Amino acid sequence: MKRLLYEIRINYTCSDCKYFSDDPAEIEEAFPGLNSLSSAYASVKSNAGVCSRHGLFISPRKQCEDFEHSDSRIAVSG
Amino acid sequence: MADKKSVTDYCETKECAAEAPPKPTHMGWKELYLKEDWWAIYLGIGIVVVSLIAFLNGSTAVKSLAINPGGLKWSSIDQLFGHFGSNLHLYALQFFSWLVIFGISTRIMGIKTSEFVPSFLFLYVLSIIMFSIGGWVDAPKYNLEPPLVALIIGLLIANVVPLPKWMDSGFRVEYFIKTGIVLLGATFPITLVVSAGPVALFQATVISLVTCLTIYFVATKIFGLDKRLASVIGTGGAVCGVSGSMAIASAVGAKKEHLYTSVTLVVVWALIMIFFIPFVSKGLNLNPGVAGAWVGTSEFADAAGFAAASAYGRMAGNENAAIQGFTLMKVIGRDMWIGIWSFIFALIACLKWEKEECGTRPSPMEIWWRFPKFVIGFFIASLFMTAITSGYSPDDFNKIVKPGLIMPIVSLRSWAFIFCFLSIGLTTRFKELKAAGMKPFLAFTTGVLVNVALGFTLSVYVFGNYWMGLGK
Repeated sequence: MKRLLYEIRINYTCSDCKYFSDDPAEIEEAFPGLNSLSSAYASVKSNAGVCSRHGLFISPRKQCEDFEHSDSRIAVSG
Repeated sequence: MADKKSVTDYCETKECAAEAPPKPTHMGWKELYLKEDWWAIYLGIGIVVVSLIAFLNGSTAVKSLAINPGGLKWSSIDQLFGHFGSNLHLYALQFFSWLVIFGISTRIMGIKTSEFVPSFLFLYVLSIIMFSIGGWVDAPKYNLEPPLVALIIGLLIANVVPLPKWMDSGFRVEYFIKTGIVLLGATFPITLVVSAGPVALFQATVISLVTCLTIYFVATKIFGLDKRLASVIGTGGAVCGVSGSMAIASAVGAKKEHLYTSVTLVVVWALIMIFFIPFVSKGLNLNPGVAGAWVGTSEFADAAGFAAASAYGRMAGNENAAIQGFTLMKVIGRDMWIGIWSFIFALIACLKWEKEECGTRPSPMEIWWRFPKFVIGFFIASLFMTAITSGYSPDDFNKIVKPGLIMPIVSLRSWAFIFCFLSIGLTTRFKELKAAGMKPFLAFTTGVLVNVALGFTLSVYVFGNYWMGLGK
């Protein structure tokens, strides 16, 4: 079973997590001044976003033990 | 699957695990319509192609649409109002054209049209006023350069008049400057990129490494700051301001506070540099190509840099040379480093800084994912127009191609730039910026001083001869 859980875990990253948001409008709102000389709609941002659980600005390809799936029907958590 | 299930309920067999969603990759094709870099390419290249078709068919439609009061040299208000009175239909048509192309594209990217339209109308009217000020016959005497005037007026409005926050939807600094840069490519000979590009890349490499490492080491070794914060502000100072900081922040998993700090430091110093470099260059009577290269080496963001380079170019009487120098250094030289630094710092963070599991190991594809794609549009436009215009003799180019094809594109580019310069001011609300802290400020400022001095030395003394040849 441990092996199976591991296989599930490696299939989920921050992009699936309910604490993660990469919405450009929300990011520009969250970082005052960001849109003065840059943009959350720019390629350089890629699909990075904010983790509200840990207060981080991170790549969606990260993982952590506090993962909770954004789809409430799927209860995958760390 | 309506009921909430536990992990074990969700997947009890290996087959089930295999059906679990795959590991997320990059945005994929979505980037082509969700990122403003790509839209800037579509719009810029689209305008160039339409202009070319009109030119080849003898139509003056684009030339009329590219109307701009900036070159009027008016000396009385009656003269100015007379110009608007007789060309009102053209300005209305131009406004509608900008509104449609920017409105639809921003809608697709997710920006509310109900917010964008009134905001853009406000921006357009302000832009006409800025061009009109620049078109006054005595404007140069008082240094009333449209980029600087637009920035100051924008800052005044944003910090004195309480404009609603939703209006930021129409003040798309980066989108406007990227569209302008792609249009700039159409007037930028590819031969110049080939001849001066290596110097620009070398100078950019030196400045990028020295500035980033200076800030990083001062921040970590002298002030004992967090390595992630040091890397975020280091790349902010060395590469591409807020954009560079944002890329590195996500690559290393920085705290939100780290990005707040960098945004504040970059915005404040970038605004100072917009005025500092042009006026010091004027005091030293620098060649505009040289000053443009210095701006490209020492300014922190594309938008701010274009304002500074354009302003000094106008002061020195050769805007083209200053913009060419800036573009080669910043857009072609320093911006290339964003992806590379992202990948390097992501690797360091994953392999050295993080003791815990760091998720997926950084991929070299990070360099491409973070690459400022609008630069591709600049190269395409440059290659395309160089190929098209190479068949004309210098005489025909000056008599036919320049007024019929190049100047309308230059005018439309000026519009995109003035939208950007105003937007910088209109979105900069000083009271909203978060406090940066003294230590990060000092570390960043050390990098700024090193960058400005080294940038000046490289641009003026080491490679001055290259930059002096621009704009001819």
